[in-house]
Amino acid sequence: MRIIKKLFMQLFLTIISIILISGLPELIMNKNVSMYFQKIKVVLFDVIHLNEMTYMNQGKQRLFLDDIWSPYLYSLTILFGALAIAFCMAQLLTWCTLIMPMFIRRAVKNILTFLESLPDLLVFALVQMAIVLIFKKTGILVSNVASLGAEDRIYIVPIVCLMILPFVYFYKMMILLSEEELGKSYVEMSLAKGMRRIYVLIVHVTRNTSEGIFHFSKSVLWFMISNLLLVEVIFNIHGITHYMYSDFRPEMLAACLILLVIPFFLLYALFEWTIIRLSRRGELI
Amino acid sequence: MIRSSKFWVGLTILSVFIFSSFGFALFYDSDVRQVQLLYDDDKNLIGGAPFEPSLMFPLGTDPLGYDISQKVLQGAKFTLLAVIAIGVFRVLFSFIVAIPFAFYLPEKIRKGLDQLLSSFYFIPLTIIAVFILSPIIREQLSAEGEEFFLYTFTERIGLEVIILTLLVVPLLGSMIGNMMASVLKEEFIEGARLLGASRWRVFTKHVIPHMLPKLVIVWCQQCVQVLIIFTHLGYFKLFFGGTDIDFNPMMADPPKSLSNEWSGLVGNYYIQIHANPYIALGPIIMFGIAIYAFQLIGEGFQDHLQTRHYKKEKRDRMSGTQNPVNEQRMSFDFVHKRGA
Repeated sequence: MRIIKKLFMQLFLTIISIILISGLPELIMNKNVSMYFQKIKVVLFDVIHLNEMTYMNQGKQRLFLDDIWSPYLYSLTILFGALAIAFCMAQLLTWCTLIMPMFIRRAVKNILTFLESLPDLLVFALVQMAIVLIFKKTGILVSNVASLGAEDRIYIVPIVCLMILPFVYFYKMMILLSEEELGKSYVEMSLAKGMRRIYVLIVHVTRNTSEGIFHFSKSVLWFMISNLLLVEVIFNIHGITHYMYSDFRPEMLAACLILLVIPFFLLYALFEWTIIRLSRRGELI
Repeated sequence: MIRSSKFWVGLTILSVFIFSSFGFALFYDSDVRQVQLLYDDDKNLIGGAPFEPSLMFPLGTDPLGYDISQKVLQGAKFTLLAVIAIGVFRVLFSFIVAIPFAFYLPEKIRKGLDQLLSSFYFIPLTIIAVFILSPIIREQLSAEGEEFFLYTFTERIGLEVIILTLLVVPLLGSMIGNMMASVLKEEFIEGARLLGASRWRVFTKHVIPHMLPKLVIVWCQQCVQVLIIFTHLGYFKLFFGGTDIDFNPMMADPPKSLSNEWSGLVGNYYIQIHANPYIALGPIIMFGIAIYAFQLIGEGFQDHLQTRHYKKEKRDRMSGTQNPVNEQRMSFDFVHKRGA
């Protein structure tokens, strides 16, 4: 019960800070503090009465909630898909890497440091160019490079773009954490008992590193939401951040960000709750 | 003395960029050469702008014939110095915020505050920065049809630095605060307190020497983050120091950066990605190199911290890490006397 109360508090604070921040452009434009508070009042009113909020679409006033659901789900699919694929691939490759000999591991780590420093814009540009190049050479269009409108949905390209860097981050973090874990004495003990190395890795080491990875994944997600805006603008995808960017009003910014944050917030709350439960059980035993 | 070669490689890359950029301004007055048509020795036309990358133009030229490598060289000092400054401000400011957080708040309140501040993990930085910075940086059109900026040049730079700093202070402050609190829990702090050390003495003699090396690593990470945000802002045509927008309804020029700083180059040339990929990629690759340099500095410094007590490295075959440092002994070293 106390956990639930705390989570609500946290969600409430997130929403409040989003609203406070979204009023800032107004403050900067008018250099007037009272205008800022007026704007915040307007934003707050709009967020509370979200079902009555309107926006301009091709010169017509339309209800915000009527139009937002399908782009919203589309954006969420892309984000969740990219996050899940990046995580699973990184986990599998970590297992593969850790049973390799030492010099390969060190090479992998050096390559990862290099890959980590690729700016995301460069990754998007390279993906774009690669698709065009493949099309020119073989005539096979892997996927559309840009969607043509609100109805045209592309999935592969944005997911691949969003996935590459988080994959590298996860991979590197997992290797570092697992190597630290492998140095502990219980691993030596279980190896001495004759357990297979791969079994110790998958069952024990992974379980013990999972909490660190979970906390790390928050900052990866933070990075991915920023990237989502970039991907949607570059590939002309009509997702939720595209609406946000083309409208550019504080109300829209606040409403879209809140919508985007809630599912991830719930997901993380669920994970955290499970981790607390599991670790408590461990203590009792 | 730092022995890690990674550290020195990174530092060399950065200083070469910055010093050559200043040298370029000093000796050549930052004069970017423009070559629109190229002739061979017999006065035959052999090409026109844009040129592909070659020995003569290492990064090619843009469609107007300006040499991109020289533009990059001219802009390096603005971008890199801004990044370093923002990184320093972020760490410094968060460190100041973290002091009362670690010293004066009781454990329970600190944990709660930490939980609340972690809600900032869900507020994506680029999106907020794009929204807040665009009224500052974009040139506006007044009712009389005149172009103007809302703020002067120095105000624009100052505000951009302040905003990019303040947006991360809640997260970074709580992170540094937790690091500091875990230093305060060490046994030697208790020992110092028992011997009668004041808070100030504990802070200057024990906490600062323990925190400084960690802060260097945090600073490198922050610089990387700032560089990435600069590429994003560049793509959204928000250039450091102001975006010059042409409001001419007929044949408007594309938005221009006031100096040739790198995010401006990224924003201006990204549109060329399909026609002349090398024009678009050049500045972004420069960003990549700068990020790699910061990354190398951070990693090299971390290696240095882990191995500074050893004459010769011994590697554990199973885990691949160095033998664990003997924590007990380390805690009683005088950290401010040992070379960082």
